Amino acid sequence: MSETSHGADRRRLSGHSIVRSRHFRYLLAAAVIGLLPLVFTTSYWRTNLILCAINVMLAIGLDFVLGYAGQLNLGQSAFYGIGAYASTLLVTKLGIPFWAAFALGTVMAGAAGALLSLFAVRLRGHYLAIASLGFAVITYQILLNWISLTQGPLGIYAIPPPPPIALPWLPRIPFTNLANFFYLTASLALIVYFLLDQMLRSPIGETLAAIREDEISAASLGINAPKWKAFAFAASSAVAGAAGCFYAPFVGTLVPDAFFVTESFAILAMVIVGGMGTLIGPAFGAIFITLLPEVLRSIGDLRLILYGASVTLVVLFMPGGIMQAWRLVRQRLFFFAEESAT
Amino acid sequence: MISIVLQQGINGIVIGSLYVLVALGLTLIYGVLVQINFAHADIVTLGAFAAYATTHFFGESYVVGIAAALIAGAALGWLVNATIFSPLRERGSELLPLIATIGVSIMLQNAMLALLGPIPYAFDTPYSNHVLRLGGLFLTVQNMLIIVVSSASIILLYGFMRFTFLGKALRAVAQDRETAGLLGINSNQLIMLTFVIASALAGMSGALLGPVLVLTPFAGTSVIVKAFAIVIIGGFGNIEGTIIAGLLVGFIESFTTQFLDPGLIDIVVFALLLLTLAVRPTGLIADKREENV
Amino acid sequence: MTASATSHIDIAAPLLQVQGLSKSYGGVRAVRDISLAISSGTVFAVIGPNGAGKSTLLNLLSGLHQPDDGTIRFAGVELVGMPPHLRARHGLARTFQKIRLFKQLSVLENVLVGYHTRHAIPPWQYLLHGAAFQQERRRCREQAIDLLEFVGLSHRASIAAGALSYGEQRLLEIARALATAPRLLMVDEPAAGLNTTEVAALLLRITNLRARGITVVMVEHNMNLVMTVADRILVMDYGQFLFEGTPSEVQCHPKVISAYLGADVP
Repeated sequence: MSETSHGADRRRLSGHSIVRSRHFRYLLAAAVIGLLPLVFTTSYWRTNLILCAINVMLAIGLDFVLGYAGQLNLGQSAFYGIGAYASTLLVTKLGIPFWAAFALGTVMAGAAGALLSLFAVRLRGHYLAIASLGFAVITYQILLNWISLTQGPLGIYAIPPPPPIALPWLPRIPFTNLANFFYLTASLALIVYFLLDQMLRSPIGETLAAIREDEISAASLGINAPKWKAFAFAASSAVAGAAGCFYAPFVGTLVPDAFFVTESFAILAMVIVGGMGTLIGPAFGAIFITLLPEVLRSIGDLRLILYGASVTLVVLFMPGGIMQAWRLVRQRLFFFAEESAT
Repeated sequence: MISIVLQQGINGIVIGSLYVLVALGLTLIYGVLVQINFAHADIVTLGAFAAYATTHFFGESYVVGIAAALIAGAALGWLVNATIFSPLRERGSELLPLIATIGVSIMLQNAMLALLGPIPYAFDTPYSNHVLRLGGLFLTVQNMLIIVVSSASIILLYGFMRFTFLGKALRAVAQDRETAGLLGINSNQLIMLTFVIASALAGMSGALLGPVLVLTPFAGTSVIVKAFAIVIIGGFGNIEGTIIAGLLVGFIESFTTQFLDPGLIDIVVFALLLLTLAVRPTGLIADKREENV
Repeated sequence: MTASATSHIDIAAPLLQVQGLSKSYGGVRAVRDISLAISSGTVFAVIGPNGAGKSTLLNLLSGLHQPDDGTIRFAGVELVGMPPHLRARHGLARTFQKIRLFKQLSVLENVLVGYHTRHAIPPWQYLLHGAAFQQERRRCREQAIDLLEFVGLSHRASIAAGALSYGEQRLLEIARALATAPRLLMVDEPAAGLNTTEVAALLLRITNLRARGITVVMVEHNMNLVMTVADRILVMDYGQFLFEGTPSEVQCHPKVISAYLGADVP
């Protein structure tokens, strides 16, 4: 992970031109998002694209608290589920407009995260990891057993898509087709990415990293570590909740099994394989892990073994994940380029 | 009514003492390494299947099955320490080993799933159907065996930690690894020993749990989540606290099943976990340690 | 740099006043009934053999541990019961005996963390960086580079803190602590692992800090450094108060000589 901070320095030291290149990267991302549904026209691939966008949100949300604040949130599956169920129930049972339900679902997931973290943030990181794992187990049990509210294992069916956006000078944008739904989720993922990125480039980034590196030192500099850990935890939970709000109308069906603890492990795998402590790494990690099963369909259940193995191997041999591998490749390329130039 | 309470009390002790065996392993490892082995769950599962294979395929007795589970557990524990915890120790990270063992756990579970399938195995021992009547209470010989074997192991382990040189050395390493090193204690070997003991216990509890539990490749996971709760409620690294908390969770499980709803077990256990964190964050039996700077 | 923070304090009243401070760990009385008063703008050294309770005293002052008994008044505020991060906000900063830098952050970033409580960025600009954000970030960075210059590390600003040499790491800890604009800086064995030239440079820096009005509390084994730079010295032994006075008084005092200094100190 030391490469991470070097990277940060390079960005920082080279100053002004970087701002431009950041704008360029966001424009590039927007352009790619715009083009993807035009390239992938089958509903099979568009469905996968939407899943990628949702998983990118889940992964960068977890990375914010794990890679930067150094706290393991194993409750992402639960916060994802809270967002999905809360927004859906608000729409279907209380008739609240989708966007208000989206805001409420996000806030509820974030609040649940903040509340949970308050129990354990004063202790070592393991306590928070286990408390959040326990929370994931409990939330799943509640979704399963509170049948009058969630219909338990039978699930909630026929969840409507978000209402069309009708802006005065544009044609109505309905979300009944997959391309538009992808634009919607991908835009949200991009906005979430931008907001997290902004926070990490502000003093919050240094504060969280300081807590990750040494809490006692951080406190000696005036940092209220429990407060900031709770903040990072809440932010990560809120992002998972937001992703859940889109998952429900996308799939159209909600069953508790979608939010079982193993989902938390899948999100963890995206972050680890992508490279924790960078935002872009886990984003690619999410895409990689989402599409991998599609590519590896032929090997069936063995792919899950591969998935666990990749987490372990990355931690052991390439803790920076895809990003570290990419940097190594790039260094080597530059090296060869320089060699051939001289 | 009283007989129901007593009956559930016995059931609570049976399941609770097994949880104690699993949780003690976690707490021992935490004591010396300040690390969590997530794959501890799969050591339990492996132990259960090892005992199943010994008795059902090879036709050996259940006691041989328990021994096989013990050895299988110890071997897997040794492997996990040698491949994951040892290499990661120098990096000094709090979470990386935990994450790596989550990967190991996913790997092992799915390997077992691919090999053994998702359908629960019926693990019958000659003792499962043999029921003893004590007054108005019922106790299968299997449950009797569970109580005897696990309390014997717990007492042995407790005595080992308290009274033998090795046990004291283990506790010295737990207190302060550097100083222990100065005293000529080889902490690497002791850490390995801890892993082997902890995993042997987990494997053995798997063999005992197999006939009681729904035996699938995921059997260990349902146990481990409660074991995690137990070590936090009892206080990480605290042996006495773990024993008390384990029995407590056993009682919660049996009484919740009887008087409330089995679906609520996890919820009640987790509520207790949160309550502990809120009121006595270092566990039921406070073990106050301040970090030395 | 940070002198303005101390200008309004009355020099006559002690900046830090400790009364009857005690702390035990599992039956061992690490600090017993220590009382002291430190005037603003002075260098106060704490000496004593290993295990005398010097570091424990610093930990009690910085709030890492809470005392069993006693009071700590700092600039008119009672510190006992106050968590470390609030003490830091009241103007108390420290370094650590076992170095505790943010190893994976760059040298500059380590110092920037010290500006946590001192920047004036409106919270909403964390999300949308405006002009105020850019201006404050620039100001903090410039000041951080000044601090690195002060400790002689500005040329190392962009490398990871963990890659610094031992002596450089100690200096970086001082720069990081100074970033919080402390009124009182506690340094725990700042000269450990430094060579003679580096100790001389350290001495100049401490004198410089005093000249800027920063009060310095120093736990140190290097007697040359202590005797040259300290205004007053507290001698501790087995957690207890042994003597307090000026360097020349300490050097002459028979109890101190017999208990601690021995024959090897001139």
